[in-house]
Amino acid sequence: MTKLAQWLCGLALLGSAWAALALAPPGLQPPGPLRQALLPLPVYLLVAFGCYSLATVGYRLATFNDCEEAAAELQEQIRAARADLRRRGLRLGAE
Amino acid sequence: QATATDQLVGFGLVAFSLVLFVYYTLWIIVLPFMDSDHGIHQFFLPREYAVIIPVAAGLLLVLFIGVFIMFVTWKSRKHAKKSD
Repeated sequence: MTKLAQWLCGLALLGSAWAALALAPPGLQPPGPLRQALLPLPVYLLVAFGCYSLATVGYRLATFNDCEEAAAELQEQIRAARADLRRRGLRLGAE
Repeated sequence: QATATDQLVGFGLVAFSLVLFVYYTLWIIVLPFMDSDHGIHQFFLPREYAVIIPVAAGLLLVLFIGVFIMFVTWKSRKHAKKSD
């Protein structure tokens, strides 16, 4: 099962549970305050997800950093690749 | 390296989302369990706005993104035609 199918499955499950509780016949409905909290729950989950995304973006922006070690490693790999290609007879531009 | 402005904006976003989350949680989850004559109710709009405002904000956002994408593609197409 792909990740997408998993998420769709979970969402469908939650959605049908919510619909069953929200659209239940009056005798089976959850009591007053619980029902009032239940009805806007999908919107609430959406807002919570939006808040989480915004916070993640903000946090990553605030702690954005240079990757000096990764840059050095990449330069090293480029140098190795150039040396290897040159050894195999490929003519490259000036180093 | 993140500059001071980046940090300000980033932590501002974090703080804003946290405040929004707490306020909205209070509004949706906690408020129904409070007595209706409790003083806390004066800090919140009527309950139907708890759904209307996010939906309207989402629609506005989608509209804005759509207009933005349309504008960008239109501009780049014009640019491509000129360079032909």
